[in-house]
Amino acid sequence: MSNRLIDIIRSEDDSLRHRSLESVVADADTQQLLEHCRQLDAYRRTEDNLYCRVRALFFLSSIHRYHLPDRLEQELADSTSRRCDGLIPFSGYEHLLSRRFGEAIDEFLQTQETSGPSDAISSSLAQAYHQLGFQTLADQVRKSVRTVRGNQWMFRLGHPIDHPLRLRRELLDGDQQHGVMPLLCETTAVRMDLSHSAWSDIFFLGMDYPEGARVLNISVDLGVRGRDDHPSPPIETYLRVIDEPVFRLASVDLAATADVTTIGEMFDFARDYLGLLKAAVIAAGIVPPGLEGCGRPISELLTQLVGPGKGLELVSKINDIPKGSRLAVSTNLLGSLISILMRATGQIESLTGGLTESERRLVAARAILGEWIGGSGGGWQDSGGVWPGIKLICGTDAAEGDPEYGVSRGRLMPVHEVFDRKRATEQTRQKLQDSLVLVHGGMAQNVGPILEMVTERYLLRSEAEWIARGEAMSILDEVVAAIESGDIRKIGQATTRNFKGPLQTIIPWATNRFTDRLIDACRDQYGDQFWGFVMLGGMSGGGMGFLFDPSIKAEASDWLQSKMIEVKTQLQTALPFAMDPVVYDFSINDHGTWAELRTGDDAIMPDRYYQLVLPGLLRTAPRDLSPNRRSELQSIARRCAEGQVATTASSKLLQSVLPHDESKQRSGGSLHELLHAIGFDAEQHEQIRADLKNGRIGLAQNRLSPSTTIRDVGPEHVTDVRQGCSAKDIQAGKRAIADGQVAVVTLAAGVGSRWTEGAGVCKALHPFNRFAGRHRSFLEVHLAKTRATTRSLGGRIPHVFTTSYLTDAPIRQHLQQNDDFGFESGVEVSTGKSVGLRMVPTVRDLHFLWEETASQVLDQQQQKVRESVRAALMNWAKATGEASDYTDNVPNQCLHPVGHWYEVPNLLRNGMLHQLLQDQPSLRYLLLHNIDTLGANVDPGLLGMHLRSGAELSFEVIPRRLEDRGGGLALVAGRPRLVEGLAMPDERVEFELSYYNSMTTWIDLDKLLQTFGLTREDLVNQTKVDAAVRKLAKRLPTYVTLKDVKKRWGHAQEDIYPVAQFEKLWGDMTALPEVECQFMVVPKRRGQQLKEQAQLDPWKRDGSADAINALCDWSD
Amino acid sequence: MQVRKAVITAAAPNQNRIPTQQLVDCQGKDKSALQLILEEVLSCGVEEICLVIRPGDQRSFEQAAGDLVGSLQFVEQPEPVGYADAILRAKGFVAGEPFLHLVGDHLYLSASDLSCAMQLVNVASEFSCSVSAVQSTRENNLPYFGIVSGTRVARKEGVFEVQRVVEKPTPTRAEQELVTPGLRSGHYLGFFGMHVLTNDVIAALEQVVADQSVSKPTLSDALDVLRSRHKYMAYEVHGTRYNLGIPYGLLISQLAIALSGRDRDRILTELVDLLAQRNAVAVDGGRNT
Repeated sequence: MSNRLIDIIRSEDDSLRHRSLESVVADADTQQLLEHCRQLDAYRRTEDNLYCRVRALFFLSSIHRYHLPDRLEQELADSTSRRCDGLIPFSGYEHLLSRRFGEAIDEFLQTQETSGPSDAISSSLAQAYHQLGFQTLADQVRKSVRTVRGNQWMFRLGHPIDHPLRLRRELLDGDQQHGVMPLLCETTAVRMDLSHSAWSDIFFLGMDYPEGARVLNISVDLGVRGRDDHPSPPIETYLRVIDEPVFRLASVDLAATADVTTIGEMFDFARDYLGLLKAAVIAAGIVPPGLEGCGRPISELLTQLVGPGKGLELVSKINDIPKGSRLAVSTNLLGSLISILMRATGQIESLTGGLTESERRLVAARAILGEWIGGSGGGWQDSGGVWPGIKLICGTDAAEGDPEYGVSRGRLMPVHEVFDRKRATEQTRQKLQDSLVLVHGGMAQNVGPILEMVTERYLLRSEAEWIARGEAMSILDEVVAAIESGDIRKIGQATTRNFKGPLQTIIPWATNRFTDRLIDACRDQYGDQFWGFVMLGGMSGGGMGFLFDPSIKAEASDWLQSKMIEVKTQLQTALPFAMDPVVYDFSINDHGTWAELRTGDDAIMPDRYYQLVLPGLLRTAPRDLSPNRRSELQSIARRCAEGQVATTASSKLLQSVLPHDESKQRSGGSLHELLHAIGFDAEQHEQIRADLKNGRIGLAQNRLSPSTTIRDVGPEHVTDVRQGCSAKDIQAGKRAIADGQVAVVTLAAGVGSRWTEGAGVCKALHPFNRFAGRHRSFLEVHLAKTRATTRSLGGRIPHVFTTSYLTDAPIRQHLQQNDDFGFESGVEVSTGKSVGLRMVPTVRDLHFLWEETASQVLDQQQQKVRESVRAALMNWAKATGEASDYTDNVPNQCLHPVGHWYEVPNLLRNGMLHQLLQDQPSLRYLLLHNIDTLGANVDPGLLGMHLRSGAELSFEVIPRRLEDRGGGLALVAGRPRLVEGLAMPDERVEFELSYYNSMTTWIDLDKLLQTFGLTREDLVNQTKVDAAVRKLAKRLPTYVTLKDVKKRWGHAQEDIYPVAQFEKLWGDMTALPEVECQFMVVPKRRGQQLKEQAQLDPWKRDGSADAINALCDWSD
Repeated sequence: MQVRKAVITAAAPNQNRIPTQQLVDCQGKDKSALQLILEEVLSCGVEEICLVIRPGDQRSFEQAAGDLVGSLQFVEQPEPVGYADAILRAKGFVAGEPFLHLVGDHLYLSASDLSCAMQLVNVASEFSCSVSAVQSTRENNLPYFGIVSGTRVARKEGVFEVQRVVEKPTPTRAEQELVTPGLRSGHYLGFFGMHVLTNDVIAALEQVVADQSVSKPTLSDALDVLRSRHKYMAYEVHGTRYNLGIPYGLLISQLAIALSGRDRDRILTELVDLLAQRNAVAVDGGRNT
């Protein structure tokens, strides 16, 4: 079997091995592509080498995602005959959700064999191959982590009695006088990645391409500028023996403490905020992973490890460094915790002081294990804070004897080359500290999707990105050379070039509007004295570095602090910020992780620890406290009396035990005032609550009766315009546009829960992609399309954005600040008149969502974590009160828009439609579309067809792909109508429907008014309009949905809660018998919606971004 | 190489009463633990035996030795400063000769016709070097033993050339440094408490005892020095060792001896009877007893 793609995969010759998929398939036709797929699929089934298999899987995924759909669409456009759009077999989809990827692929291939290739099947195959590829890689990393020598025994241990570790004697003997136990303290730096070598610290990449996996990594101490006196190692961990048979965990930053009494609890990561400490305890072998599910009390294990009746206490402190700092705080905390636990059990020889190289490697290997156990993920450079100073970390070839040998080209663990004082002089280190300003921009984003993109692109070796990777590698060499020669300015030049060039070529999403504006501002402010920018970690917006001329560093730090806050304030409704930006003071840490043993009076925990535990101790009767606890209380009292505790600390200690004035913190009051002010309908709310509690409405009740017959529509029920509209229709449409008969209504009331995972920013304003040189928002794209139409066809097309309480002010402000982006035909904002108050979900609905609805099973360990989170959320719902008002958050996160159906009647109720008709009496049609349907524009052909049909509503539908979930076009009791996903009596039914609803609707205004029982003249009669809207609303179903909202707290910490809300949806208009509807099948690109940020990358790569750009006119 | 001398250490704190415990040997005769150990030593042709003890224990050991007392010499370890120091106290006794060394709180039962000590002496004679008896030890027992790693000697069943010796390693270290090919996963070669040592070990013992950085140096520390300088082997003996010093150690040792001796059937019958009775107690809550 010879196939050029397989030759590439198998080749040992770099010039062939690094060739791209495109170089072979760019000119292939459908049949050739299918033949490639057949051969690749056969090959990947028999190939033993894991990386070859994975590359074949990504080739397959890519062909199905990017190449076949284009060819199929082209064929469809060229052919004169109609072809049926493919359906996705539900059983294959079920396999996919349950992670049975192999079975899913077989099922989809079978369908492709019998029904022929289609866009739908290709989308399913692309997804299945993609997920199988990542699963294979994740399995390999897991296997490597488990098989690293020194980790294996932990997976064999099955009973605590067999525990082979013992605590070191030095920790077991208390102080003679007071019985105070010795305290082991470890301090650890965080790491800064100065070079950003193109995400080459991803495990998969390092294991396949070790020579390309290199980073320059610096251990740093931190202080928050203006808060801390000087930089210090941000991570502190403490361990001591206690006289109770429990494992006590405490995180002073998260103000969380727990006594773990069973081994099972140690594996319950989401039960509290101590998951990371638990992962460390497991990865350090104290509670080895093999003990999961053994059902024994932890006292049995502690008896073996520490002695009968004794326990351990582990405390962490990260000096309030906010999450998302891109300095690998959590991995280094994990490293620090693991190190202290391994020291205590003799797995590391040195009880105090620094670590040897082999010990550091052991800690790093265990940290990788810990990240896997905790369901998180980091790169292999992340535990760099365990090492001292400046080091080059490089991937390395797997050699005989390594567990990876014969499996992957590289080893899981890289090698660390620590720079001595010759290679990086004292002067250079000082100069770097004098020039670099480290900041946290305030954005906390999930970098997971970025890392997946990088891996995929690497495996595909797409030409531009592969060249960029090479450039990034040579930039790394430049940075290393600059460190060696002490030229800091050169570092800035190189890292800036890296960020602007290779990094954004590989991942355009590495930057955003916020970062771009900051860089521009620095350049404008300081010109040549601004030496450059360095992105830290997976993406910018959080941790970043700015290099300045040392002579202005102090001034620039202060200036940057206020500039970041200014820019953040302008962008915070559009981009997800978790906190206000901060500037750090930093210094290079030359110790790496470091431990000391404190005894007697010195064996004291940090002050914050006592603030955390004191209230609980004082509430307990002294006789119920253990002797150690009693003596600890006495010691606090003694130290306070003797003035050993600083005044601020002792006053905080006092505060911790006295009652707080909670009235300031409570947002409930202001929320209710706000609700009153914006016309919240309390009566309706109470009715919904009662219905929800009684089970009259709920997720299960959203569904149509199971006896409803739902079938797919036939060709006679739709008008397929994918091959173009008739010249006559186009002509008619053009005329209507020129005559000013059309307006556009963009639905922008929602906050895009899926888009920002519940961050609650205004999706319409999110500058999601660079068009014509800068990042532009959804709102701007829509205006640019309408502008393009009027400029080419004449006429005036007013553009209305409908808003809700949540989005109204930000959108108005944004338009005002940008002078309506120079839009000539008038931009209007239609203020929402309806708002709902979210509720705590019922346990019944949570069960339904998580257990009865088919949902994606996660990778083994992540799934365990997810189940633990869900159990905690069920308890939260019960404890808070099912169907009670959700008020424990900022007001914007407690309110919700009530579904897009209301947005059209709102135009009537708030006078917007009346005003439009006054301004432009020729107006007869509206084009209504979602904010994220980027392809929707005033297309003359489609408008012409709508005119000709005489329908009240013309809906645009698209052929379904795997990701298009949430309803579709169906024949219900013989009538074609749109059925919402929520209403599907059975999930299987959705897979029998060929078309997905894009929501884009052409509306005949007068007919719509007629449906409401109104005329144009009635629009001035508010009472009549309100009554008409209420009357129609009653005829439409109310859906209950659960949405994720983020609650922010502490220092950029975020919790996600599912909350219940209700909605009425526009598509249900098609169910009203008197409404005459037609359904037009439009090209995929026109109807495609961007629901999640993870879609952005494929959207850009498959040419959709360019297609949208072609519809726009940016010149304002 | 002829082994004429033996050194038995019994100077560890709380160890002084163990060798004086009474047991019944395979023939049904009452004997002290010390007598059983001495018989093991004498079985391989050793003529002179030195017991390293704590000051003041000599009398009780003499009594426990019974009629074998004549072959004994005593050396005291004034302070409990470690295993290595204890053996070094016998330097004058061994006087440059190879010697058999046993710990005073273990009993050995051979699974072949030759005693465990005899098997070990045979290997030492064949290779003319120090040899330690080892047995495959599961990793949960690592906190109790010195562990060696080694490579198998071709065509010589159960003999290893030692590469590393570590006292009570953590499983993490054992897995990284002490894996011996051919053993089941999670199993290591653990000391059996019996060694034939050449005079080379004395220099190694002196070195580790003089090393201030090590508190209470062990024999393992000295053997790790030894293996770096001289040929040093390990031998997987056919037999079992019983530690008298752990909870129920004496009982289990006694059962093991009895079950391999004359009174096997009687002991089995007693055990079954005991089981039946105690089972009845457990089931009916003790009403019928």
